[in-house]
Amino acid sequence: MNIALILLFVAIGAYAVAVLEGWSTYGRLSLSRPAVAAIALLGRESLLARKSDRLFFEVGPVLLLIAGLLAIAVIPLAPDLIITDLATGALFLNAALAYVLVALIMAGWGPDGAYGMIAGWRFLGQFIAYAMLIVMPITAVAMRAESLISTQIVISQVEMWNIVYQPLGFVLFVIAAMGVTYLPPFDLPLGDLAGGVEAEYTGSRLAVLRLGRMVVILSLAGAIVIFYLGGWLGPWLPGWAWSVIKIFAVMAAMLFAGRYMPRIREARYLALSWKLGIPLALANIFIVGVITLVVPI
Amino acid sequence: MELELLVALGIGAALFGIGVYGALSQTNLVMIIMGVELILAAALVNLVAFWRYLHPEVMSGQMFVLIVMAVMAVEMAVGFGIAITRFRSRGSVEMEEARELKG
Amino acid sequence: MTASVFFLAFFGIAAVWFGIVVFRTHSMVRSALALLFAQTAIGAMFLVMQAEFLGVLQIMMMATEMSVMAIFMVMFMMDPGGLGAMEMTHQKRLSVWAGAIGLVGAAAIVGLADWGLAGSGGQVPSAGRQVELLGLELLGRSMFVFESAGLTILTAMVAATMVAITPPLKGGKNGT
Repeated sequence: MNIALILLFVAIGAYAVAVLEGWSTYGRLSLSRPAVAAIALLGRESLLARKSDRLFFEVGPVLLLIAGLLAIAVIPLAPDLIITDLATGALFLNAALAYVLVALIMAGWGPDGAYGMIAGWRFLGQFIAYAMLIVMPITAVAMRAESLISTQIVISQVEMWNIVYQPLGFVLFVIAAMGVTYLPPFDLPLGDLAGGVEAEYTGSRLAVLRLGRMVVILSLAGAIVIFYLGGWLGPWLPGWAWSVIKIFAVMAAMLFAGRYMPRIREARYLALSWKLGIPLALANIFIVGVITLVVPI
Repeated sequence: MELELLVALGIGAALFGIGVYGALSQTNLVMIIMGVELILAAALVNLVAFWRYLHPEVMSGQMFVLIVMAVMAVEMAVGFGIAITRFRSRGSVEMEEARELKG
Repeated sequence: MTASVFFLAFFGIAAVWFGIVVFRTHSMVRSALALLFAQTAIGAMFLVMQAEFLGVLQIMMMATEMSVMAIFMVMFMMDPGGLGAMEMTHQKRLSVWAGAIGLVGAAAIVGLADWGLAGSGGQVPSAGRQVELLGLELLGRSMFVFESAGLTILTAMVAATMVAITPPLKGGKNGT
């Protein structure tokens, strides 16, 4: 029952991501654009590259979708509405998101085409930039909650949400999250000539690749909500309603905010995150540790 | 219990054998590093099996596993640093061409 | 009992098979990603053996490390796609004998030793409790090991970065 409800939420959420992305790209809200685009994609011819690595070519998009679904499995929408409440939930989220990298490397290398391959290796550069920035704010959040269990992390924010308690960690985590899902301005894997990683994919495989990316965006919005925005906590509505509203709001913010900046190359992202981001993340852990021991909330 | 321990240790032995074969038979430095990674992974499997089936309440077993994982990462990093320098000065990281110090 | 033996054997054989693929395949990126999936199978074995934190940690770390190894292979090897046919091995007989002796020796010790299971083997703590106990162990009894490992890692990071970014001048002398 839980699994069915969460999968329904994933389906609706992925469609909402597509609608919001279309709105931010084209400037007009159209609720049926993703459905029409999906049907058009599925109907198109599936071109195969000549000397591709067939195994990686096929497995790449599917692995992206699996990584997104595994990341969703540890995100609670309500105190008992979670697929699996692992004892190391926050760490498992990270482990699932590491396979986004493997999937994009496979998808870039598989078709044996120059643009896709360069985009895949550029995503690796981006990954080295955001890898530490994704783990260290989670460490600070787990320090406050004194547990890695996702439901415990939400329950620990009853008095004060983490966005007020650890604003520095929130900013770093959002920047890293936008890097994971290669949203603008970090969308170098998609933004190269000829479309980057999606350059050699057509037809139904492209549909799976795009669907996988939407599920990963949904899982990261869910992670931001449970780590920093208090999950299901809120006054009048039932818990799951608050979760859904917050997740959709975070998704809209992530999809719209980045359009106003130029695309950031991975060299600059690496420099920014290792020279500025990691010292700030370490300072965040230190400050949160001191506050947790001193202040009684 | 006994059977699970033997299965886990047997898998560790198999991985160790494959790792030794790989580390000794490959000519490229990167492939040798991959062989060493397999040997260390076999050691990790053995350590976790010993922790789980012989001393489950003592957390030092898991601590040892964490140290070995950290050492794996560090050894790979230093190995690749050396590989970059070698590649820059000679143009390849093949072991067959590394005969400068051969007596 | 039999379910966990079955899963241990399944993931173990998957790890061994991927390990063999690492050295048999011609394509270099396939080799690196096969090693990735071998380590993931080992991480799954850890999960079957109820070491949840270690299993998840292994799966996460190895995905990262092997992807970095994949790009280093593409940088350093002459035929990363494996579409040509090149001889990549040397001293084949010695290495096969060494591998076989290693395997048989370890397997013999595994089979013949008395592991003392009769009296030992207490209760395995639950996963949440394991995380707590591991944290207490890290910062309590094993604090010295942990701190010195941290210093060693930092030194190695600085050393590797310095080695990697200082290009040697002509004539072989290192300069800045």
